[in-house]
Amino acid sequence: MLAWSSRCLLHRGPRLISLRAAAESPAHLVGCFRTVNTTIRFDEHLTEDNQEYMRKSMAEEYRKQTTDKLNPLKDEPWPRHEWTEGSQRVGLVAVKLGMAPIWMKTGEKHAVTMLQVQDCHVLKYMSKEDMNGHSAALLVGGKNVSPFYRSDEEMEMFRNAGVPPKQKVTTFKVSDNGIIKPGTPLFAAHFRPGQYVDVTAKTIGKGFQGVMKRWGFKGQPATHGQTKTHRRPGSSGPVDAAKVFKGKKMPGMMGDVYITAHGLKIWRVNTKYNVLYVQGSVPGHKNCVLKVRDTVLPNRKSSLRSLPFPTYFTEEEGDLDEDLYEDNVFIHTDQSLSLT
Amino acid sequence: MAVCAKGLDRILFSTRLFQNLRLRNERSISTSLCRLAPDEKPTKFTPPPKPVVMDKTLTAESLRKFLSPEFIPPRQRTDPFKFYMERIDMIRRRKVLTIPEFYVGSILAVTMADINASGKINRFVGICTQRSGKGLGATFILRNIIDSQGVEICYDMYSPRIQKIDLLRFEKRLDDNLMYLRDALPEYSTVDQDMKPEPFSLTGEVPLNDLKVKMLPKPWSKRWERPKFNIQGIRFDLSMSEKKMEHAQKWAKPWDEYDMLKEYDTSKLEQEILSEVQQEMSKQG
Repeated sequence: MLAWSSRCLLHRGPRLISLRAAAESPAHLVGCFRTVNTTIRFDEHLTEDNQEYMRKSMAEEYRKQTTDKLNPLKDEPWPRHEWTEGSQRVGLVAVKLGMAPIWMKTGEKHAVTMLQVQDCHVLKYMSKEDMNGHSAALLVGGKNVSPFYRSDEEMEMFRNAGVPPKQKVTTFKVSDNGIIKPGTPLFAAHFRPGQYVDVTAKTIGKGFQGVMKRWGFKGQPATHGQTKTHRRPGSSGPVDAAKVFKGKKMPGMMGDVYITAHGLKIWRVNTKYNVLYVQGSVPGHKNCVLKVRDTVLPNRKSSLRSLPFPTYFTEEEGDLDEDLYEDNVFIHTDQSLSLT
Repeated sequence: MAVCAKGLDRILFSTRLFQNLRLRNERSISTSLCRLAPDEKPTKFTPPPKPVVMDKTLTAESLRKFLSPEFIPPRQRTDPFKFYMERIDMIRRRKVLTIPEFYVGSILAVTMADINASGKINRFVGICTQRSGKGLGATFILRNIIDSQGVEICYDMYSPRIQKIDLLRFEKRLDDNLMYLRDALPEYSTVDQDMKPEPFSLTGEVPLNDLKVKMLPKPWSKRWERPKFNIQGIRFDLSMSEKKMEHAQKWAKPWDEYDMLKEYDTSKLEQEILSEVQQEMSKQG
């Protein structure tokens, strides 16, 4: 349809010009031309039945790929290395479900955020040379999406890894002994209760905001002779500087930027449904896809010893409990607390 | 005549004696049989189990179907799976702690572990004035007047510190939120701390108490006459003039009931969750 309309415009263009007389320059018409979109939508030449069949069969195939952890790369897994001081593990891509309360054995209540790890896979290994000699990295994706609206270039990485396309793909820097073969599924049991994590996500966008909301400025009084000056920033710097310093806090777009919440404790891990219960609030709206990794805080590093390295494999630790709790967390099947 | 009456009395007395004797005999026979059966040395006395009164007319169908309101998820764009995860924990807790069916207006007694209370246990009796929160974070507020001072305690329904919840009086009021009791005469929120539980039935309708309260003089904490609160349980005629009541209708929003975006029909959802909860609660372990 697009191609047809633009062609029509091409045919009719000269006639229009002739009608308009030569007084007008031909350059005027340049604005009328539209670029012809050559990409074909997947359903363009398919009947409705075939479309439906395509959708169903692809969904079925992808479901099978994720549930059976089917990996078309049949060669051996990569060699495993031991954990050493300073090793860095890969992180996870998770979906934010929402917040809930959790109780301790001492009776106090904490707010936790529930993060679900949905179809998280390692997609690609980037060696040190690919990363400009800094550190090796792994591309990890989470949350399956439809393959029909992706270009071939985008799909190549997923095809190589043998997994469905993902909504979110992120890079995790790992140490050389922490690399994992592409196509390996990652689970919530990668993190264990009691350890600390950092969560990175895009915050909720607030639009263009004034300084009081954006930076927490005080504003001015409501009365006592104020004219048109209640929520304004006031002075923007000293007089003798004769300029406004770079980085001056001003009104502008707020939110919709990547923020990391550091040092959040994991209270509980559900291994059946792959849910992490993380202390406090995390950036981002509900159902947003975020990035969870071991904390970088030096004082919390001691919690990162004795974790599954390089990740949790179901074949090795298949007998994990359905729910893993931190020692202080109250379990709902226990009797009520007496606090004696 | 008198002789006649005396004779009749005697006859009656003798029959009563006979009945008693027969009863005693029966009992003696049954007990002896029981004691004879195990021919070991007499063990320590154990009281017989209390008789369990079973009402044969009570069947599973006739019981009142009830789903606690915190099980119904709010209308928002949250993944329903999140509420399912919370429900699992709620059912686990309900298997340990019996949370009775109650409504706003019911009288409850909550026993709670409190580190600052004497004996580390605190029992509070009060009228339930509000239920709020969904999922694991559900709360209810109990109100009472102690030493002529109004006291309200907000309890987390699924807090592990709660040891026991007793239902003392089972009834509903005209409103779903009794926060106006703060501005009402204190007699309406005064409950005896040593109140004994009153019997209630598990079948049929929930008893409705159509009590209308008298209010303290104005100002109140909120303008309860405004249509947004839609309060039925206040005697407005005692505290407000006809003209003022009419004036309050200025804030009415009669178009709200036709707003299709505000509709939230939970009846189907409620049935699904109820069957799920009942199934899970009947499982042991």
